[in-house]
Amino acid sequence: MARRARRPIADGHVSTAAVVSAIKESGSTRSPLRIAGRSTWLDAGRPVRANKTLSLRDDSGVVIYVPGDLTLTVRAGTSLSEIERVTREHDQWLPLDPYGSNDGTIGATIATASAGPLASSFGLPRDLLLGLEFVNGRGEVVRGGGKVVKNVAGFDLSRLLTGSWGTLGVITEVTVRLYACPQADRSFVIRLAANEKESNAFLRPFLAASFSPYALELLSASAAFALGLGERAVCLMRFGGNTAAVDAQLNAVSRIAGVEEVETSVWEALRTLEMGSGCVIRVTGLPGEFRSVSASMLMEQPSGILNYIDPARGVLRLVVRAPNEHEESKESVFGISTDMPPNERVVYETLPADVWSEVSPSVVADPLSRGIRKAYDPHDILNPGILGD
Amino acid sequence: MRSGIAERLAEIVGERHVLSRPSELLVYNSDGLPGYRRQPRLAVFPGTREETIAVVRLLADEGLPFVPRGAGTGLSGGALADDIVVIGLHRLKKILSLDVENRRATVEPGVVNLRLNKHVAPHGLLYAPDPSSEAACTIGGNVAENAGGPHCLKYGVTLNHVLAMTVVLPSGELVELGSKVGERDGYDLRGAFIGSEGCFGLALDITVKLMTKPQAVRTLLADFTSVDQAAHVTSAIIASGIVPAALEFMDGPTIRVVEDSIYAAGYPRDAEAILLIELDGLEAGVSADLEAVRRICLDGGARNVKVARDDAERMKLWQGRKKAFGAMGRLAPHLIVQDAVIPRTRLPDILATIRAIGEKYGVVVCNVFHAGDGNLHPNIAYSADDPAESERVHKAMTEIMQACIDAGGSITGEHGVGLDKMGYMESIFSESSLNAMCELRAVFDPERRSNPGKVVPVHACKEWHAVPGGRLRMDT
Repeated sequence: MARRARRPIADGHVSTAAVVSAIKESGSTRSPLRIAGRSTWLDAGRPVRANKTLSLRDDSGVVIYVPGDLTLTVRAGTSLSEIERVTREHDQWLPLDPYGSNDGTIGATIATASAGPLASSFGLPRDLLLGLEFVNGRGEVVRGGGKVVKNVAGFDLSRLLTGSWGTLGVITEVTVRLYACPQADRSFVIRLAANEKESNAFLRPFLAASFSPYALELLSASAAFALGLGERAVCLMRFGGNTAAVDAQLNAVSRIAGVEEVETSVWEALRTLEMGSGCVIRVTGLPGEFRSVSASMLMEQPSGILNYIDPARGVLRLVVRAPNEHEESKESVFGISTDMPPNERVVYETLPADVWSEVSPSVVADPLSRGIRKAYDPHDILNPGILGD
Repeated sequence: MRSGIAERLAEIVGERHVLSRPSELLVYNSDGLPGYRRQPRLAVFPGTREETIAVVRLLADEGLPFVPRGAGTGLSGGALADDIVVIGLHRLKKILSLDVENRRATVEPGVVNLRLNKHVAPHGLLYAPDPSSEAACTIGGNVAENAGGPHCLKYGVTLNHVLAMTVVLPSGELVELGSKVGERDGYDLRGAFIGSEGCFGLALDITVKLMTKPQAVRTLLADFTSVDQAAHVTSAIIASGIVPAALEFMDGPTIRVVEDSIYAAGYPRDAEAILLIELDGLEAGVSADLEAVRRICLDGGARNVKVARDDAERMKLWQGRKKAFGAMGRLAPHLIVQDAVIPRTRLPDILATIRAIGEKYGVVVCNVFHAGDGNLHPNIAYSADDPAESERVHKAMTEIMQACIDAGGSITGEHGVGLDKMGYMESIFSESSLNAMCELRAVFDPERRSNPGKVVPVHACKEWHAVPGGRLRMDT
């Protein structure tokens, strides 16, 4: 039987105890902390009222990994690339590919609920997370969930912390569900017609067809060009599973359109395309809405703006590479979501610092969120301001 | 009791929908775990959303505690009301909307799980979480318990399939959690509410994700002459990377009880274990996985691997599994069922430990469970009226639970804590973790009137003190 591989935290210098003492000290002096992983995404630009940074970057490494259980417990500062390296040795993977680079930490990925193209088939971070340890704003060590794949013991603190942006506690350890690497994992592009009408005529029935890709993104011509995929908008697909299933899907797709195989590394290139841009906005909606408007959204973009659409999940990602063009992007975003409350449809991921207050009202202003915040961070020392509060 | 709360409830819902005579309330004194009995004081059954809100507001005004209840099929004693009000939600059974294009439906909490599935099936859709009580249990109850089921191995539990809810908080306020139309930023309050076991309020409507029916489904029955072989084969299938839609385990005693009952499924009576394995997906992929799984079973010592020929045979194989707890009624009047989850590589040794514990206490432990998830359901049929037997049964169960906790497991995978597992909460959570749960509950229900005395032991809450208006019992 597989031995339980318990390893002390040898890789880094930080520990849960160090986080506890940093928080207690901040609490007693009422000096707020900016919580950071490896700081790969601090340029999200969200304003935080803090003078000190508590970095988890050195608190990394595997805590428990028994490959046969298909679960992994790591310290929060472990990078996604390190998780990839460790799990690949056993032909397993964590299908979590948030936009940004793999240098980012699992703790930050969970804290920000960041997801990528694989989310439409493997779920969001909340779906892959099994349990976590965090330190609340009083310096108390709290555990939610567990280390097994199914668990309803107690109230769900794991989900609560996911996407809380460090404001309810500093995540120090994470347990996630793993998958075995598929037998086949191949990626393809279909080049879309240059005009909207033709593109639409192809896309609507194609997207309604019963393929089950690992990921499918529609990329604007600007995004396709940036990835070296030509000058037209494309449909980028990833099929995984056993060879028979992948071949069958590829055959079915080939009957409808011309497909060209591309390296699977194209996905990582796509995820990092937006790094350094001044403005990233995510618009979410019903999958059907995206099916009908995809073609026009891919065609009509001003230069310097990249669009990626995940029609199954119902997400449009809008990247403005030149920071001073944010006004334009705001217009196009509000254009498709005029009668919805912005909070529900539009999520601002990265913005120039001076624009935040204008477009991002607090997303935790409701009484329940305020009550939870007050209970978990009574001294208001954990990332104050980051959620527009 | 303050003047005529029953009468005032009757003004809201109509006289025939309020029960107050002890004899009428007997039906509501237990849930699916008949070992626990608590007599409610009153039961009220609102018929509409508006009536439900009015009932909750009246109870809030009066400071009275209550317990929400769906179909009462829960297996943790979670829906029991100890001398307080039961709010039964089974009359709220409208399917409010079905959006085929976007694969989602909005339902009232009293809609029965299987009825939702029958409603969406003609559109080629399904709602994935399928508790074995699917023919009776309600979506509202599923949300409260974060219910699972055999097919959760591949498709996830209730948490992964609920998009949004309208909730009436115990104070009577309404809140929208999650989003019907997209992904909402901010705290995941929907995630916090799911599995809160009725302690955070009542869901008035629930929007769920639906899935497209898989192109192909194959169900295999593999039988073994030893429990150990079946356990090792389970681990081998999981380690192979194939994710079956379901991977269920039944041991010899369970097989024989089922075969003696009206739910007989044609399982081999002389087997010491069977695995019921379902594979689904694209036709080509499923055929390849089927061969791989068959080989793993045979290499692992299976005597036979039979593939269901058609839907009728498939349903029959499943019927025996899903009705197994019901069949246990043939053995004795009461049943105790556990729900621990263990790391999947520990399955062979924990099953051996369970057998040894059963022998030590002279009780027959039956095992029928979700092997693919490591979610055990060791159960013992017994007579709660025999104090000596009861004591042996409870000692055996406590020891089994401890073995699962020691293996790094959880005390409950899908049934919830309720009353039944509250005593184990301190074995897996620290004082500060339990306190964080109390704090979360206090935000949703500051007076702790909704399903009081469940999930987290009261003494674990640091801030616990007499709450104004939060009478735990109704004074007469």
